[in-house]
Amino acid sequence: MSAVETKSSTEAGEAIARVGHAPGGRSGHRDTLGTAMPLLLPAFAIYAVFSLAPIAWTVWLSFTDSRGLNTSAQFVGLANYQRAALDPLASQSLLHTLQWLAGHLVMAGGLGLVLSLLISRLKRSRIVFRTALFLPHLVSLAVVGVIWANIYDPFYGLLNTMLKGAGLGWLTMGWLSDPLIVLFSVNLASSWQGFGLYMLLFLAGLQNIDHSLYEAAEIDGANGWQRLWYVTLPGLSEVMTFVVSLCLINGLKGFATVFVMTGGGPFYQSELITTYIYRLAFSLQDHGLAAVLCILLSALAITVTVAFNQWRQRAAR
Amino acid sequence: MIISRKREWPFVLALTPLALLILGPFAWLIMSSLKSEAEISRADPFSVPANAMWQNYVDAWQIGGFGTLFVNSLVNVVAVVILTLSVCAPAGYAFSKVRFPGREWLFTLFIVGLTIPVQAIIIPLYQVLFNLGLINSLWGITLAQVSSGIPFAVFLMRSFFAGVPDELVEAAKIDGASHPRILVSVMLPLATPAISALVVIAALSTWNDFFLPLVVLISPGVQTLPLGLVRFASTYSSEYRLVFAGTVITFVPVIVLYILTQRRFTEGLTQGALKG
Repeated sequence: MSAVETKSSTEAGEAIARVGHAPGGRSGHRDTLGTAMPLLLPAFAIYAVFSLAPIAWTVWLSFTDSRGLNTSAQFVGLANYQRAALDPLASQSLLHTLQWLAGHLVMAGGLGLVLSLLISRLKRSRIVFRTALFLPHLVSLAVVGVIWANIYDPFYGLLNTMLKGAGLGWLTMGWLSDPLIVLFSVNLASSWQGFGLYMLLFLAGLQNIDHSLYEAAEIDGANGWQRLWYVTLPGLSEVMTFVVSLCLINGLKGFATVFVMTGGGPFYQSELITTYIYRLAFSLQDHGLAAVLCILLSALAITVTVAFNQWRQRAAR
Repeated sequence: MIISRKREWPFVLALTPLALLILGPFAWLIMSSLKSEAEISRADPFSVPANAMWQNYVDAWQIGGFGTLFVNSLVNVVAVVILTLSVCAPAGYAFSKVRFPGREWLFTLFIVGLTIPVQAIIIPLYQVLFNLGLINSLWGITLAQVSSGIPFAVFLMRSFFAGVPDELVEAAKIDGASHPRILVSVMLPLATPAISALVVIAALSTWNDFFLPLVVLISPGVQTLPLGLVRFASTYSSEYRLVFAGTVITFVPVIVLYILTQRRFTEGLTQGALKG
């Protein structure tokens, strides 16, 4: 872990911001596009065909009435955007996605932070806990869906069995069938898988805090909570903004657990933008409306990234 | 030495119940995967099986066709890692050490895709794969996965190469080396930290990917592990012993690999993520 660098000088959005003075090539010597082409072409070709073209195409689709492959799509202007604005399922899936993001941030991000603070105080058992607690992150979210669907099974599931065994029978419920809690239940499963990465990132950040700050705080008579509040958390601020944005981006990509555990149900109460896009695109064949939601999803992701970079730049000043 | 770090046991005491709670599902899964159907429904969920039913694994492996799924996942991961490295290392080099007109503009274009989730471009992506005859093909998802990883990978390689002194490149140029030659014999040997970060990140995300396989891979013979397991678990949902054994089969190899390479793995993952 010693080589972990938190203070990386280059981060995605920062690079966009200062793209004007990119690194390298101080000498007056200039190459032509021809020299660079062979180096760039393989990556560019794949990226252009499988990412850039689909991005542009999605924008076009949102203005058409396309209903699937092999159909001729007509330009319909803003009709799909109007339909999306009036579609109760679209606004519901947006609301669920925002709730999902908040839940993931608190549960996965929060758990990652708490565990990293505890683990950073360990010496001999440090590696054991760090390794063991990272294990859930190695499981595919789809597999997590299969596992937690069985944990939540109302009759044979681990959770209700344990609750009954502990004399808490009144707490048992249909974790995935109750419309009020289904989104939370699935989010908990996703967060169980997600927190490990955040924990490692926080641990890396904690290692970079100057130890002399703690000594100074101790000499000043700061107690444990004060050290946490005035030294540790401010020292983590850079990693914190990064983890928050990562939580939000990962949250926006959430799909597999919902798809596997509930399929968006019951009564669309766990429908996210991603699962709604999938349904619109591959079972309802409503590509125009799906494309509008795709653009909404991208816009949310871009907003998160831009906000994160502004935040970073302000903090750096 | 920090005074507050002297006592370790209160923190071990606080962490132990949390760790048991978090790792409980693994213990329950492994125990249940070795029980008979009757024992699963009757006994305490965490009890040690009366007779370890290794047969569950044999049955799950055969019925679920896990051999094929395994090979497919492995081919997919190896192909994504090799292809990602071999197209992104040169691009990262070009963006950091070759001065050509339009460099910044082109780099911005590469970064555009960094935050766009793959779900947001899935309709045209499907259409592209369809037109190229790559639906239901491992090559189809491999290319799509490489492409969605390109912004991050190019960015990471560029950041890393930018940290290598220009003098090294200039010296090699004076010796008459071409750019590809400099990349291979000067830069790549220095780039092991960035390469191992990319390998870990690309391999883990590919191995665990579900969305692209779900959309692209239709017949069981070409599917990867997570997709195959979901299909298997919904077909045999009432045979818990099979579902549990199949589930354990999908994650055990990654966990073993992780524990064996724990240090490098952690370093690659955190360093790569923090750099990106």
